[in-house]
Amino acid sequence: MPELPVKKVGIISCSGEEMAEGTISRLATRRVLETLQPERTVTICLPLFLAGGEGERAFARHYPTIAIDGCEKRCAARGTEMYSGKPAGSIVVSDLYPRRNSELGSARRLSNQGHRLVKTTAAATSKLVDRLLGPRPLVGLKPAERPAVATKAVVTCSCGSGIPVKTLTIAGREIEVAALPVIYQSWRDSGRMPDQGVSPEMVQLVRVYNPIPENEEDAWKQAIALDYARFCSEAK
Amino acid sequence: MKPKALIIPCSGIGKTLGSVARESAFRVTEDLRPETSRLMPLSPLVLGEEETREILASTPVVAIDGCTKSCAAKVAAERGGKVDQALQVSDAFKRHRGLKPEGVAELNKGGLQLAQALAEEVAELVDRMGGEVKNA
Ligand code: SF4
Ligand code: SF4
Repeated sequence: MPELPVKKVGIISCSGEEMAEGTISRLATRRVLETLQPERTVTICLPLFLAGGEGERAFARHYPTIAIDGCEKRCAARGTEMYSGKPAGSIVVSDLYPRRNSELGSARRLSNQGHRLVKTTAAATSKLVDRLLGPRPLVGLKPAERPAVATKAVVTCSCGSGIPVKTLTIAGREIEVAALPVIYQSWRDSGRMPDQGVSPEMVQLVRVYNPIPENEEDAWKQAIALDYARFCSEAK
Repeated sequence: MKPKALIIPCSGIGKTLGSVARESAFRVTEDLRPETSRLMPLSPLVLGEEETREILASTPVVAIDGCTKSCAAKVAAERGGKVDQALQVSDAFKRHRGLKPEGVAELNKGGLQLAQALAEEVAELVDRMGGEVKNA
């Protein structure tokens, strides 16, 4: 399987507009992403995921995910499981602070207690990231001292799943095909010539990252064959 | 009282635009039109609660999305909602070039002002809505 960008964990937050705990899950997600585990996490935007962004869904199929939910309804965890795969970890804010009351503020404005719970939730999530990926090698290094990431992810949606995608016109529709740039690279590196066409095994690899409807397999093959030929000639 | 409109923001978390959508929705439903609009959270809607479905089926929706991916509008429509108005923060930004939003966890001044401008537009739309789903 081609090597996708640096191993990361996807943090999926519920959108939680109706209660302070939802805002806490959202802010905790940002804290993990920006401060605690910036090199090893990406966020996968739940609405985009639910609305069917293939890059997002493919990401969650291939990388471990942690769902952070505001309450026991666990919308992010259930949504992830429903559309992709069971999250590797789950945090529920109301479990961390069971006394549900107005001490936390509102969804729009958190109280000091609410902000403290953001930190607690983020710390618990960061621990889960460490458990999933192993201890952080970069702890203690200033940003300038950190090595550059191995592969720059091509961010495709405004929420940024970090998986590279390419848009192809297939059966008259524009479709974002996840992981295609790295798949092409791996084919080229292994000496597959575009004039040999797209074998079933190659389709199988694309299918790992993208649901290909049965009745559209030929259209996918054609579009990929053409695009791969273009990729190879541009790379010369 | 039954609201005239359900306001559904995308609350996208990856970039600023989703946060502006969320803030606009709060401003409409809490500050500008608390009597006639109601905020409908997106995630529970997808996971389908009976009460949510009933109100969604009978009340027009104003979707406020961050960008052209239109997640809130798509999800609401998919779940049986009638999306009367589908707005995007990226369009609002084109109309208010001076208000450059930054920040996700905390919006900058430009982001808050853009949220307010968009909220005022949404409030006017709500005033014009009848509260009933057309062609239901
Ligand atoms: S998990 Fe709870 S707070 Fe979060 S979106 Fe669902 S119902 Fe709202
Ligand atoms: S509409 Fe855009 S900003 Fe909002 S959740 Fe979807 S991708 Fe993210």
